[in-house]
Amino acid sequence: MTATSTGVGLAGGGLLARPAAAATDDELAFANFGAATELLLRDFYGRAGTAKLFAGSLGKALARGRFAATEHGVALATLLTDAGQTAPLEDDFEFAWPAGTFVARKPAATAGLTIAEALLGAYLTAAATSPTASSRVLFSSLAASLGEQRSTLALARGRLTIGNSFPAALELETASAAVESFLG
Amino acid sequence: MRRLGYILTAIVLAVAAALAGAESARPQQGQLTIYAAASLTEAFRALDPSRQYNFAGSNALETQIRQGAPADIFASATPASTQNLFRAGLVEKPVTFTANRLALIVPKSNPAGIRSVYDLRTKPVKLVIASQGVPVGGYTRTVLRKMGLLSVLGKVVSEESDVKAVTGKVALGQADAGFVYVTDARPVSDQVTVVRIPAWAQPQVRYEIAVVARSTNKTAARQWIRTLLATRGQTALRNAGFLPPPKTAP
Repeated sequence: MTATSTGVGLAGGGLLARPAAAATDDELAFANFGAATELLLRDFYGRAGTAKLFAGSLGKALARGRFAATEHGVALATLLTDAGQTAPLEDDFEFAWPAGTFVARKPAATAGLTIAEALLGAYLTAAATSPTASSRVLFSSLAASLGEQRSTLALARGRLTIGNSFPAALELETASAAVESFLG
Repeated sequence: MRRLGYILTAIVLAVAAALAGAESARPQQGQLTIYAAASLTEAFRALDPSRQYNFAGSNALETQIRQGAPADIFASATPASTQNLFRAGLVEKPVTFTANRLALIVPKSNPAGIRSVYDLRTKPVKLVIASQGVPVGGYTRTVLRKMGLLSVLGKVVSEESDVKAVTGKVALGQADAGFVYVTDARPVSDQVTVVRIPAWAQPQVRYEIAVVARSTNKTAARQWIRTLLATRGQTALRNAGFLPPPKTAP
């Protein structure tokens, strides 16, 4: 695998996948959803950190999740702007967290899990349906990262860290509906 | 006789003075002509029913002002129109005063069975939208582009000149679905059902307002805009379903 053939490049000190070919309408739709929902997930991690709900290695893992959400957002925003679209910004949204989300570990982790699983499912579908290899690399790597985050959030929630053997690939409509109430 | 002459002269002078006073007061209180995006119809009329309004698509109003139409204030559903006029020196510096969201509306009877925006892709549907040049028409295409649904433009049976025309066609059952602002669905809520568009697919719908440079009534126009930006104006907009100006707005 080379940077040229896959469109994978270094940016911002991290390895960000970036499709080299023009993205299709469907890929851009997944990118739009992903970019907005990564902002939501970043906000989640930030609030969970501020609330100091998770200590030790779990707290550090969730802080790393915030960093991943930031990097994912940058990669997806780049995909959108390269295609002539406008990438979403945090100020575009009024995130709506249910009352009590960040007062205890369980409701916080449950909210985080909902978002992570929606993103994971959407990225799996995007990876499976993208017609270009470079886009499949991007969405597959995003899905892999979200799988890790799902596992960490499951641990925070008190569930098994390895859940379904085959996480569900979600249609964009289904994934969108799962997080709509948080996006405001 | 002479006394009667004095009285008549006094009456004539008093009437003349009253008329002169009315003329000088007119620019302050009357004849303020406001050109505003069609979507602002209900909110502006509720805020101030006494003014003279011209509601239409913002692009059409921009053209009219370029051609010298006698507007004192221009309120646009897109910053593009106000900024174009500002660059041309035809309006004073615009300010953002509110925001909006898009929605898909279907007739109450919902003959096409539309429950989600994604249904537009799979179901046979007569779709009505605004023309590309009209702000809501541009925003509609942005929503469809973001959702990967540009293919549904093939189901458009009519392109309208402003959002009220889109709303009317759906409300009357002449179309199965149409894209409008959330605020346009409210006045016809007994005739249409709103299908929500996801937040991540929403465009940034920002309204700007400016005093028209050739207005002869600038003091009153500026005062009207101050009222719109103050609590009373913002409450009227909120009551009509508009959103506060975005945090990033100038």
